[in-house]
Amino acid sequence: MTDRVERLVNLTATLLDTRRPLTLDDLAERLEPAYPSDKAAQRRAFERDKETLRDLGVPITIETIDALGGEQGYRIRPEDYYLPELALAAEERAALHVAVTAVRLFGGAGREGLRKLGGFEGTGAAPLAHLESTPALAELFDAVAKRRVVTFEYRGETRRLEPYGVVHRFGHWYVVGRDQDREAPRAFRVERIEGEPSAGDAGGFVPPPEVDPAEYLRADPMTYGEEEPVEAHVLVDATRAAWVIDELGDDAVVERRDDEAIVVALSVANRAAFRTWVLNLLEHAEVLEPLDLRAEMIEWLRDLVARAK
Amino acid sequence: MLSLVPWILAHPGVTIPELAARFEIDERQIERDLELLPMCGLPPYTADRLIDVWVADDGAVTVRLAEYFERPLRLTPAEGIGLVAAGRALLAVPGADQRGPLATALEKLEDALGARGGVAVDVGDTGELERLQEAVAARQQLEIDYFSFARDEMTTRVVDPMRVFHAFGEWYLGAYCHRAEADRLFRVDRIRAVRPTGEAIAPERADASDELDDVVYTPSPDDLRVTLRVGPEAAWVAEELPVESVTPRAKGRVDVVLPVSAVGFLERLLLGLGSDAEVVAPREARSIAADAASRVLERYERAS
Repeated sequence: MTDRVERLVNLTATLLDTRRPLTLDDLAERLEPAYPSDKAAQRRAFERDKETLRDLGVPITIETIDALGGEQGYRIRPEDYYLPELALAAEERAALHVAVTAVRLFGGAGREGLRKLGGFEGTGAAPLAHLESTPALAELFDAVAKRRVVTFEYRGETRRLEPYGVVHRFGHWYVVGRDQDREAPRAFRVERIEGEPSAGDAGGFVPPPEVDPAEYLRADPMTYGEEEPVEAHVLVDATRAAWVIDELGDDAVVERRDDEAIVVALSVANRAAFRTWVLNLLEHAEVLEPLDLRAEMIEWLRDLVARAK
Repeated sequence: MLSLVPWILAHPGVTIPELAARFEIDERQIERDLELLPMCGLPPYTADRLIDVWVADDGAVTVRLAEYFERPLRLTPAEGIGLVAAGRALLAVPGADQRGPLATALEKLEDALGARGGVAVDVGDTGELERLQEAVAARQQLEIDYFSFARDEMTTRVVDPMRVFHAFGEWYLGAYCHRAEADRLFRVDRIRAVRPTGEAIAPERADASDELDDVVYTPSPDDLRVTLRVGPEAAWVAEELPVESVTPRAKGRVDVVLPVSAVGFLERLLLGLGSDAEVVAPREARSIAADAASRVLERYERAS
């Protein structure tokens, strides 16, 4: 075990120090503790080391060396390996320490990152927030940072997205950007992505200047959808009025009735999300208009009643 | 180990206890790493090519001949988003200093990662949040008007606020509730009014739970277990709700067993799912969706 760690450190140092790519033969000849002499076992051991280093985030480049008849050579390019100089002040490291202790996500990856940035300054903080950790998020973040076009399956369709950012809202992560096929801005809920997204080459698109990913998700899920937005009016009983105003803001109120019930206006581009929202208020709310939305709601409820019979 | 070396190179003479505290690594582990390090270096592994480690009697560590490890390894994507998202979340909490060290650290970090502005975190801002945080800090007892969403009723209760936290997209108050005579969690957005009682919280009262993971809804053995059959469109129920079992059925449907503490929750869930879900068991719960639907429908039919 110790031998393996030792060899991994030496392999990293050697590939980082070399100016030309090294072949597996070069490495087998030089490296200590030595790889097995049997060729097949040697290749297996090396591939395993390479895999381990990849998982640790050590980027090994594979290059074809023409001078050696197309044999593959390996090295670590310094610009891939080294963290750019951040010049963090002690108080900035302390602030990041507070952040990674107060906000929980990703099983401590942020803490690992902070180790690389110079460890844990100060005392940290009590847990304050818990964010959803979705496996695909790290890859999407990498695609945002490196400007890689991502391709993924979403609700049974293949999407190609120029990702401008990742946004956490309503307890969920969204990736936002420009949908290449629809030629329009779109947001996708990360946990609804089916399978792993695949990322294209770095520098695959140019984001607009001064893009604010949060703008893509300004409002509620019900205002964000593929449908033509319509303005809907909903009557809310007095007992629920205060919550609805909290949620939608005063501006949403278009009428206040004598019994303290209110009528709110909503922009609806996702009818399913809208229906869920209204039904969450149970018998304390009612869709007034447009009439087709009201009729849909009545039909939805009648179906539910009929199914029980 | 590779995180320690750049720091030691930049701070020659740092001691093992200092390293252990800074990196939250056991001192023994650091000693073991430092014993391994002098065996590492570059071919042909002669003295001038091996990493030189010197630990003085007082525990001060010096490392030489490791220039290639002078700067830290870049962050993995998971580490990058882990740090940036945590920082952005904390900055989004009402009252955070938008120009303080956290803000400047995040700018440096995002620039280095090439992701300036690429991560936005919204944790919402809810009316009484700051007052509740102050009450926790000052150990101040409060009377709150609270709307129980699941039971659809308004209550007034005296609570000892213990902590305020954000999870699953909502802010929660964890408090000892004098009415329930037990620790309770309250959704901050459903707290309508907050009044200090003028009493301080008894010193022996302490925050019983410190893990966020298990607190939001912990099913109790007494809760009703409902078996739901859901179609492919409602598959998220199995992923996102605390279901106790998932059994595949014909036509891509699954049966899930869901603990339910209040009927209002189940009514909302079923009304929203519509024909994508039906209650299989228990028998007396089968009519819940239809009953709730008729109640809502009544108001539409009365009006039209």
